[in-house]
Amino acid sequence: MVTETRLRTKSETAPGAAVQPQPRLFTIDDYFAMADAGILGPEERVELIDGVVITMPPIGNPHNASVDKSNRNLVISVGTRGIVRTQGSIVLNDRSMPQPDLVLLREREDFYASQRVGPEDILLLIEVSDSSADYDRNVKLPRYAEAGIPEVWLAIIPEGIVEAHTEPAGGRYTQMRTFRPGDAVSPACFPDIALPVTDILPG
Amino acid sequence: MTTQTKPPPQSSSALNVSVHRFTVDEYYAMAEAGILAEDDRVELIDGVIVKMAPIGSTHIGSVNSSTRALTTTVGTRAIVQVQSPVRLDDATEPQPDLALLRDRADFYGSSIAGPEDVLLLIEVADSSVDYDRNEKLPRYAQAGIPEVWLAILPERVIEVHTEPVGGRYTQMRTFRPGDTISPGCFPDIALPVTEILPGQ
Repeated sequence: MVTETRLRTKSETAPGAAVQPQPRLFTIDDYFAMADAGILGPEERVELIDGVVITMPPIGNPHNASVDKSNRNLVISVGTRGIVRTQGSIVLNDRSMPQPDLVLLREREDFYASQRVGPEDILLLIEVSDSSADYDRNVKLPRYAEAGIPEVWLAIIPEGIVEAHTEPAGGRYTQMRTFRPGDAVSPACFPDIALPVTDILPG
Repeated sequence: MTTQTKPPPQSSSALNVSVHRFTVDEYYAMAEAGILAEDDRVELIDGVIVKMAPIGSTHIGSVNSSTRALTTTVGTRAIVQVQSPVRLDDATEPQPDLALLRDRADFYGSSIAGPEDVLLLIEVADSSVDYDRNEKLPRYAQAGIPEVWLAILPERVIEVHTEPVGGRYTQMRTFRPGDTISPGCFPDIALPVTEILPGQ
């Protein structure tokens, strides 16, 4: 039974035998047209990854708390030097429009009211992972690297760590540092900021 | 404090993620909004819009030959529908190669055929045989379609699946060139296997 459809990781090669039908892929224009036509409602938690509309898992309390906490601390420390977007959409390419938990955007007077946010606008991206760490690490991270997003923090709740991935090259991040409670993380875009890990992770 | 490490190796295993599922109504709204074009070869299976594989000439020949054989034997007692949708439920609308439908004055011009309208389905399978057998057949059984013929091109056999119970067909008979097949709905008809699998 088609209970789940496989979204291949970047390192996986094309399928051998073409017996399994592939999902019909959509562009971001299709995706917006679905919203306009009421096919996807504003309350739906979905994202477009490589042309596939993905249902995002429901967010638990620790995940929500981590997002809220990171949001507050990031806004306080960045001030008006950048814009913090929480659980909004960003466009990676013609077929991918994920909704990361937090993105720190280049400052813009209109707060991006007149245009979609693309990779070049992003200074730092934060994904909070509760049960979704594999998905974030293996599916989303390579796509962020491919789009050239300079820095991604994965806040992994079960492990109580923050991974800072930097220096994207060839579709992957070539540097990764791990931070634990007691450490502080500095984004490359604002080296003067040092966010305690406990200001990002819940609890 | 910080530990400098190399990134973890990229996992080679595929991840199962939840693909968003659409209803039949949303599927049609996509066509109306121009997101799906009329020439898009797609079907809706459990809410997922899947692309149908391009079909080869052997497949086309089998569909054409079966269409003629069925139409000439059934006559006006039923409607032969070729490569058009059948709505199984709110989230599943496949396009089987052939569907023999109960006769209806409007030829289903006012609404798409549902499972209760289907007397017999024929799927022609080449590389898709596993998918047809493992994915589509159970759905046809679950919808209560009384009889499905799988015409398997590489093996030149026809599997006749009948008596759907509990989401599967409980009876299966295999036919080869030289045999004839009678559908349960019209026992007077005896279709030679070679008219469904005409050979190249």
